[in-house]
Amino acid sequence: MSGASTTTTATEHSDGPLKRFLTRPEAPALIFLAALVVVLSVVADGFLGASNFEGILSQVVVIGIIALAVNQVVLSGEIDISTGSMLGLCAMASGTVAVAGGGLLFTLLAGVAVGALAGAVNGFLVTVARIPAIIVTLGMLYALRGVLLLVTGGTWVTGVPAEARVLGIGSVFGVSLPIIVLFALFIVMELVNRHSDWGRNVLAVGGNRRAAMLAGLPSRRVRFWAFVLVGAAVGIASVIYIGRAGSVQTNAGTGLELQVIAAVVIGGTSIAGGRGSTLAALTGAVLIGVILNGMVLLGIPGVWQDAVLGALILLAVSTDVLRRKLLGDKA
Amino acid sequence: MSQYTETSRGFLSRIKFSRELVLLGVLIVIVIAMSLLSPVFLTLGNLLNTSRYFVEIGLISLGMTLIIITAGIDLSVGSNMALVSVVVGFSFLGGVPLPLAIVLGVVAGLAAGVFNGLFVTMLDLHPLVVTLGTFAMFRGLAYGFSDADAVSSFPAWFAYFGQAYFGPIPGQLIVFVIAVAVVWLILSRTRFGRYVYAIGHNEEAARFSGVPVERVKLAIYAGTGLLVGLASVIYISRVSTARGDAGLGLELDVIAAVVLGGASIYGGKGTIAGTVLGVLIIATLRNGLLLAGVPSTWQLFLLGVLLLVAVFLNEFFRKEEG
Repeated sequence: MSGASTTTTATEHSDGPLKRFLTRPEAPALIFLAALVVVLSVVADGFLGASNFEGILSQVVVIGIIALAVNQVVLSGEIDISTGSMLGLCAMASGTVAVAGGGLLFTLLAGVAVGALAGAVNGFLVTVARIPAIIVTLGMLYALRGVLLLVTGGTWVTGVPAEARVLGIGSVFGVSLPIIVLFALFIVMELVNRHSDWGRNVLAVGGNRRAAMLAGLPSRRVRFWAFVLVGAAVGIASVIYIGRAGSVQTNAGTGLELQVIAAVVIGGTSIAGGRGSTLAALTGAVLIGVILNGMVLLGIPGVWQDAVLGALILLAVSTDVLRRKLLGDKA
Repeated sequence: MSQYTETSRGFLSRIKFSRELVLLGVLIVIVIAMSLLSPVFLTLGNLLNTSRYFVEIGLISLGMTLIIITAGIDLSVGSNMALVSVVVGFSFLGGVPLPLAIVLGVVAGLAAGVFNGLFVTMLDLHPLVVTLGTFAMFRGLAYGFSDADAVSSFPAWFAYFGQAYFGPIPGQLIVFVIAVAVVWLILSRTRFGRYVYAIGHNEEAARFSGVPVERVKLAIYAGTGLLVGLASVIYISRVSTARGDAGLGLELDVIAAVVLGGASIYGGKGTIAGTVLGVLIIATLRNGLLLAGVPSTWQLFLLGVLLLVAVFLNEFFRKEEG
């Protein structure tokens, strides 16, 4: 339980840069991503090209933004599998405000507020009522979808006006706006993890909760805010979602929670908590995008998507185990 | 976990607290409430008919109880059900005789359980991650093999598994009663059963005491896969259709039933009697709400909330007991 993390531990300072890179949590995923890009460039026509890369990135923006936040929850030693239904609920809220003429600001506020509220419920149940996170968020996955269906009565939100769709379809200097949002949030999270008390506490609490508590860290508050952050991130992602789609169905976001968790663990953040990085979540999301894109280009039917995703989760967590055994690291 | 010291502090700790008794009370209250809401509810015909719908969840809950007692979890049971369903349906469609197709399906369920078990034991991975992976993988394989299509051209005799009646009693209820008896015997009367509790209480201590932890766990996940296989055959026969979206969300019902029945998600605690009561409570609620005309979206919401309340009360009372 070294409690280490985004930076390598002090004992390894004498190693070369290559070894230091290899001990980083996201290293296997980055190597795999690089190899996959090389292979796909050779075998898949149309893979190599700026427009395809932009397509891949904009495809994973929603997953990526949520993964950056869920990454914090996983780092703190918890899990959140309620994000799929949460996205549906947030998209419905922000979509309704947008259609009512709320403009971009209030659309965003509506999504973030509903998301943060749902996240706070998750956080409260986990940290105060002390129900295991997997049960809380599994229950919420169904309860939130139930709320969504009850509130809307099964009707869709359609005709989202253009001014509220900017985050989903706009672009700045030729770069698609959702991709800019994703990378901006990535930088923010990286700064938070490196320089804020909360960011460092997340890792400490996830690495060894008892030790963190004995050291006086507010373990519950740290985990509570991680769940709220997921809600807020889902809120932001929901505005991008409605921007891209222009309408919201009641089944919006179904199955998304799995892709998000997949992105986080494939990227290299340990499901046991305390080890991982912001870059891992981003790498995982991009990797999923490349794989799905590669499947399309190679003509593999979409019905196999879940099978590939599941196999990848297993592969990722297995390599994590092997890496730990090879490095003799017990963290 | 719990300490076996006889302290007599507080009101709650002085009462000899039996969870099964409380659950039975809850079940009776629900039955009375439902019979007030709907006049058809409390008829023998309806009650026996209800049993046709909870046997599938009930069978899988038996295996899940053992998994949860060892502090594990299996999120993949619903997807496994779809996989079995597709293997039976599409091997039959591809020309395999139906009896053999059924055997293949059950074997597929077992194999899926073994797959989970191997990942959990050999790589020492948390069951949550493993079965989250297989949750996606099994469902994906089911969709892939079936190309998201359905098979419903089964011969008439296949209906026997899920639609037969012996007098007024549905056939699958008999299967369920036998399965309950067998799993109850294993859990409470055999060495294997004591191993299961030992692993849940303290896996390291169990290992040092000579409990074959890996083999026991593998057997539990495999056994759950087998039960999923059986449940799936009953399900396909009941609805006369095999398709890749079978068992969608099933894991929630199953886990809710087990934790409602008093099994602790932290391991070491749980009984078959409790789980059976949990299954009955959920089935009664669902059937009663249906008869009372409550829309299915509400049922989904209530089930999610029920799960949370059940776990909260479980852990709350556990602290009082401790």
